[in-house]
Amino acid sequence: MRRFAFNGVPCSDRALRIGVCGPVGTGKSSIIALLCRELSAPLELAVVTNDIYTDEDARMLRAAGVLDPDRIRAVETGACPHTAIRDDISANLIAVEELEGDYTGLDVVLIESGGDNLTATFSPALVDVQIFVLDIAGGGDVARKGGPGIERADLLVVNKTDLAPYVGVDRDQMVADAEAARSGRPVIALSRLDTASVAELTGWVRHQLEHHRSGELVPQDPGPMAPHSHAHDDRVHSH
Amino acid sequence: MQPLTGSSELLLMLLADARLPTAGHTQSAGLEPAVRDGLTDVPGYFRTRLTSVTRVEAATAVVALHHLRQDRPLSPVEAAWAARTPSSAMRRTSRAQGKALLRLVHRIWPDAAATATVSDLAAPGRALVLAGIAASTGLSPASLARIVAYDDVQTVASAALKLLPLDPADVACWVHDVLPLAEALAADVAGLTEPSSIPAAGAPQLEAWAEAHAHTTRRLFSA
Repeated sequence: MRRFAFNGVPCSDRALRIGVCGPVGTGKSSIIALLCRELSAPLELAVVTNDIYTDEDARMLRAAGVLDPDRIRAVETGACPHTAIRDDISANLIAVEELEGDYTGLDVVLIESGGDNLTATFSPALVDVQIFVLDIAGGGDVARKGGPGIERADLLVVNKTDLAPYVGVDRDQMVADAEAARSGRPVIALSRLDTASVAELTGWVRHQLEHHRSGELVPQDPGPMAPHSHAHDDRVHSH
Repeated sequence: MQPLTGSSELLLMLLADARLPTAGHTQSAGLEPAVRDGLTDVPGYFRTRLTSVTRVEAATAVVALHHLRQDRPLSPVEAAWAARTPSSAMRRTSRAQGKALLRLVHRIWPDAAATATVSDLAAPGRALVLAGIAASTGLSPASLARIVAYDDVQTVASAALKLLPLDPADVACWVHDVLPLAEALAADVAGLTEPSSIPAAGAPQLEAWAEAHAHTTRRLFSA
């Protein structure tokens, strides 16, 4: 089913909008810098950041020199990072549309949420697909704790896997926990030092872009509530 | 969708509700730079705005509503507003808010002629977009001015709770206590019809704070 924007233009004609969220310090900005570094030659990219209190993330990305600084825009969220990606997406949508207006032919706009808690997810009206980011150093038990992003974001990244030996976390166990929590949805164990994992991430982005361009991509809402199954039947209820 | 008739009270509630998705949570109505510069008297800040910049906004909205109802062009109203809003940061903020509100208006009232007229301006400020809503839905000039005043007060109040160590109940009391001043403002401007009658109440300190805030790299709120 082909989706259309309010103005009648097919969504598949505009850039793919990818949301990146997850707790503070898990590496959202680094992943965006990594994607820009790897993909800004073959693809036309732009970034919207949602810093909590500074424009640090936007400045860090600009300083990284991986993208034209004007393609990186910061949106303030009034200390409400969750609101800005979920219940009032106006400021972010306007920033995305202004980038799309200023740079015709954009392939991907990356939207970085301000670091928030485990319940933060993007509205499907703001992004087409979303990545939830955890990191090894945050503790091996976080993936088991679950939550909408961990369980049902389109992609879960377990970041900084190279730190596992230094923080006493069993990397393979954490990834296995994440996979178990996600019922087959993809998990990438990422380290910027591990080129195979980087290729896996860029491959996922390219696949999503193809899916988007074909008009088949329909945003899936991770939702605020966990679907649960009742003991008496086999159906899964989503409330 | 049919314009709402018979219950302008409900329409006012809709427009005044902070849950309306128009990026209101990104705004502090200039309070953040004021607090950074040492301001702590929030009720005094309400009053200062209601007698200066908010008065200009409310009067602009009312005069724009009159022009829409009389089928007169809006550009002289916008020019009068811009001339009375010397801070480019404040004009930019009002236009950004107008854009977010207009985006929602197109979804709620897609066929409204008045909002189409407002959309014809290159970058209408918030007061002009609100005037378009009022013209499309039959709101009175006084109701329109009340919305402008009330929204400004509540924007300051909710930002104050993030910026200062306050009891939320105290802040609600302050909002309640300033309502007569908001009502008086609405009564004062409700009868205005001409751009030249929009008050020119300068507020240099507010303007300086707005300009400083636009250039800082550490802020919670857009403005």
